[in-house]
Amino acid sequence: MKRLASVFLTIFFLVLVMMLPQAGALSKEDGSPDGGALNYGEYGRPATLDPITSNDMIALRVCELIFNGLVGIDEKQEIVDDLAQRWDISEDGRIYTFYLRQDVTWHALEGQDPVPFTADDVIMTYNVMMHPQTITPLKVRYEFIDTVTKIDDYTVRFTLKRPILNALARFSFKIIPKHGLQNSEFITREDPFVQHPIGTGPYMLKNITAEREVILVANENYFKGRPHVDKFIARPFADQNIMGQALMFNAIDMIVLVNHRDIPQLQGDKRFVLQPYNALSYSFFGFNMRNPLLADKRVRKAFTYAVNRKEMLDSFFQGQGTIISGPFAPGSWAYNLDVAPLPYDPGKAQQLLTEAGFTRGDNGIMEKDGKPLSLTLKVPIAKESEAVKRVILAFRNYLSKIGVEINAEFQEWLAWKEDIFLNHDFDIMFASWVFDDSADISSLFHSAEAGPWKNNFGAFSNPDVDSLIVESKLTLDHEKRRTINRKLHDIIADENPYTFLWTLTNYAAYNKKLRRVAIHPYKFFTFADGWFIPKSEQR
Amino acid sequence: MKRYTQHTTEFSDSAGVPFWKKAAPVDRVYIGYGLFIVLLVVISYILGATHFLPFDPQEINMDLLMAPPQTEGHLLGTDFMGRDILSRLIIGIQAYFLPGLLAIGIALVLGTCFGVLAGYWGGGLDIASTFLSNLLNSFPRLVLILLMVAAFKPNIYLVMAVVGITSIPTVASLIKSKIQFLKQKNFIEAATALGLKNAAIIFKHILWHNCRSVLIIQATLGMAEAILIETSLSYLGFGVQEPTPSWGNMVQSGANYFMQGNFWPSTAPALTILLTIMGFHLLGDGLNNILERKRDQ
Amino acid sequence: MRYPAFFKARSAMKLASIRPITVLISRELAIAVLLLLGVSFVVFLVLFLSPGDPFSSLLKEQMTSAAGSHPGESAPWYSQYLLWLANITRGNLGTSIRTGLPVLNEVIRVGINTLYLTLGSLLVTLLIAVPIAIVSARHGLTPVNWVLTMFTYVASALPVFWLAYIVIYISMHRFGLFPLAFGSSTQKWNWLHFMLPVLVLGLSNGTMGEVVRHMREELSRVFSEEYICTARAKGASIWKHAFKEGFLIPITEIIAAKIPYILGGAVVVEQVFNWPGMGRMAWQAAQDRDYPLIMAITLMAAIFVRLGSLIHRAVHIVVNPRSSRE
Repeated sequence: MKRLASVFLTIFFLVLVMMLPQAGALSKEDGSPDGGALNYGEYGRPATLDPITSNDMIALRVCELIFNGLVGIDEKQEIVDDLAQRWDISEDGRIYTFYLRQDVTWHALEGQDPVPFTADDVIMTYNVMMHPQTITPLKVRYEFIDTVTKIDDYTVRFTLKRPILNALARFSFKIIPKHGLQNSEFITREDPFVQHPIGTGPYMLKNITAEREVILVANENYFKGRPHVDKFIARPFADQNIMGQALMFNAIDMIVLVNHRDIPQLQGDKRFVLQPYNALSYSFFGFNMRNPLLADKRVRKAFTYAVNRKEMLDSFFQGQGTIISGPFAPGSWAYNLDVAPLPYDPGKAQQLLTEAGFTRGDNGIMEKDGKPLSLTLKVPIAKESEAVKRVILAFRNYLSKIGVEINAEFQEWLAWKEDIFLNHDFDIMFASWVFDDSADISSLFHSAEAGPWKNNFGAFSNPDVDSLIVESKLTLDHEKRRTINRKLHDIIADENPYTFLWTLTNYAAYNKKLRRVAIHPYKFFTFADGWFIPKSEQR
Repeated sequence: MKRYTQHTTEFSDSAGVPFWKKAAPVDRVYIGYGLFIVLLVVISYILGATHFLPFDPQEINMDLLMAPPQTEGHLLGTDFMGRDILSRLIIGIQAYFLPGLLAIGIALVLGTCFGVLAGYWGGGLDIASTFLSNLLNSFPRLVLILLMVAAFKPNIYLVMAVVGITSIPTVASLIKSKIQFLKQKNFIEAATALGLKNAAIIFKHILWHNCRSVLIIQATLGMAEAILIETSLSYLGFGVQEPTPSWGNMVQSGANYFMQGNFWPSTAPALTILLTIMGFHLLGDGLNNILERKRDQ
Repeated sequence: MRYPAFFKARSAMKLASIRPITVLISRELAIAVLLLLGVSFVVFLVLFLSPGDPFSSLLKEQMTSAAGSHPGESAPWYSQYLLWLANITRGNLGTSIRTGLPVLNEVIRVGINTLYLTLGSLLVTLLIAVPIAIVSARHGLTPVNWVLTMFTYVASALPVFWLAYIVIYISMHRFGLFPLAFGSSTQKWNWLHFMLPVLVLGLSNGTMGEVVRHMREELSRVFSEEYICTARAKGASIWKHAFKEGFLIPITEIIAAKIPYILGGAVVVEQVFNWPGMGRMAWQAAQDRDYPLIMAITLMAAIFVRLGSLIHRAVHIVVNPRSSRE
């Protein structure tokens, strides 16, 4: 929760790439040795371990090891079969029929026979997810589904309300067992299942120790073949500085997200591999356009010109990232590379403010009609993230040079969320968006999304953007959508509702003993069943 | 706050000999050091208030992050934003000044009230005040602060109010035992017999003449307490927030680079805290030895 | 700490003559229970007064899940408090907002870890402070024990997490050991992993200087008392005589008085050393505004404190039943 909670907001999106299913499951007859254990460090600990009620990155990663979806994704980001071995899509794109694998069983409880996985589980998972009493961030993602019907024990049919682009990818939601829940209608955090999940995946939960370590062991009966590493242990850390040291002293074997200040030290160390992965996220300063001073596009642009993003990126993040110009994650297909980020140009910033009618006041602060350009910047307290603090302080400094006063307020996470999303009581805010796989920015910039608890917290409103967003949602043609998004990017970059900062390159660090590591951008452990540790290094 | 055992045997100074002449040499050293620290703190406060500093403590220098001591005129080096550490240390004392006074004020005023009520009148008031003191003593301070932080917004004044409130029992018990001691010596009976009013006895004869030193000592220690608590809270993320410098948040932000071998940015403020708090403690103990125990021998 | 007038009139005459120790101890027990009630009321008050009124929603949820009855929308504060109290006495402290787990079990589980840490560091504090106190009480101020005394001042003025960082750094870079307790991987040196947090908290919980001072004063007082002098004159060991008065009582008193400080310090030390205890959980709960959890932790901490002082009073009564009646 912490990682997510203090720095990121998560929104889930549709997956773009639509591909034909590949036949046949992965064979584990690949000659790699079995055995060994992998200890990995997490900052904070997961609240719940089921795929439905959990909303933190830590749980998302663990669920990836325990559960499977109907469809999965491979290392090339292509959709592959998982629990469903094949599927049909009707001509009009509204009916999806999944033919399930018949050789799948749920993780067996001690002394019990394994229960087979059937269509009933799929139907129950969908119903539980959509039940009004279930609280889950997933719900909005599946509102496009109209009905689900069971054809036979191993065939399920989903009927969509309307055809949508890339619907298949959304069927990657994790399936939970019908016999696992206390209550088969909805799921809450009180259900024992959320602490003792049962899945179909490569690893099963052994126990959660008194130290809140989550211990997972290999599922011998995994339908894609037993995973190589015997044991996965998630160890929670309360202090990030200490976690970095834990890796270097072999107390853990892997860190899923390395702090940037540890990178130089790890780079020089031959015992470890630093593996970059693109997280499809970016950081930004968001403006509240309800404030008349910030409603003027020139003022917002002046702020972006005044900020030296390159210097910050180099000084605080060892240059590990890309400066961005628009609302899409740069790794995504929707990002428009033709739009260049605004350069660092305090002169230009000064000029824009003058154009907007500001003059220097007596105390050096720019003012207009007697109103000084003195703004409140709200940032969630992030004890662990010294880098965020640095960015905020540097931002303040850059803006003070063009005569803008910023009062930074560090707030507790929940209080911050209330102020930003509910009360809209801020001038500027700092946050990051984490995208799922692609680019649907409708909830961020459509003017209808400006209400309480909605994502357009800054009340950005532009008729062209609104109509382009609607158009993009309706189209079923990938190329056409790309063109629309490029246009969107262009307009939003110019309107500058955020000062877009950068997308950082994330690094996982792991001990060299671990081999053939492939990492999924945000779910991380998707391909972990193929990882292995050579016999000689299995301690 | 510290709790001292009472050793008073006399309630009025017998001879005209100045107390410091009777002081043991070691106590003189303690007090001398303590006063030196207090002087430094006062000077720092004045320097900060008049902005007479080597550098602007808020000036960010992106080309000079985490510079070691004596780089380009930065006597103690720069911090993670390239700001001058010495200037921030000097101005950092201001973060404690008002909040610390709030804590001390609450502790002394309410503690004295409790103590007087319990000691002077006794009876039911004594029971009530003892109960309240024990009640307040039942809360570990940091846990109570975390509870307050969860319930209200984290704020240094709120935190310091809690520190003050949880210090009430210490002050109260000191005042109370002082008064009980005076009662034992029939001091109060005598004063009443002389026709003095309660208020006069309490304020002039008890508090002013006999409890002054206790209160001064407690105030000194209260400041030390405020600094240490703020340091712990800074580590937990609930202390004084950037960009306002406090010694606590300087140690905390410096400590993030400690494991990479950058010791200085956290060591400089940590040593400042160490020396200051030792100063306050030694001053308190020295004063206590001289003022409260000198008549033992 | 004492209740001079509380039972004085009656107990001194009638009850005390019958079975003094039992009566006195049960009196202390009654007081402890009263104090815990007071603690629960303060906790209630803090949350009752906090903006957003987390309390009534909490209670409502508890009630609906337990009995299915709704207390009225605007139940007066005292009925809310009584309802909550009734729940607590039934062992129902609610469920954590974050994890959905029952709070009571969670807090007991981590409370035990914190108890180890607290008792361990108390022991460290005493093991360091008491010898220093004895030496300086016996021999007065010599250069050696002046240095030792200064050391205790330094220890109680150090920011605890900074000391923890130093200790971790040194143990890693000097000795190549990684000092985190509670590793599931069975490494050698496990005792060391356990020792370091205890040592750090024992050294710098801010009470060392005071413990030395208090012990020294008590011991010198006892040493100078008549019966000790007599014992010395007779050639008997003075330690035997000094033990109860000058040693046992001050030590239990210190333990009782310092538990709150050490529990406070534990919040920080647990954070640095990844010790899965109550303090770390309190911090997490404060961040998440997990009210049921932080309330339970506060109560649990108060119980520890009261237990400590109960032990102190019991020792005091047993050692010296006459004086404790007065």
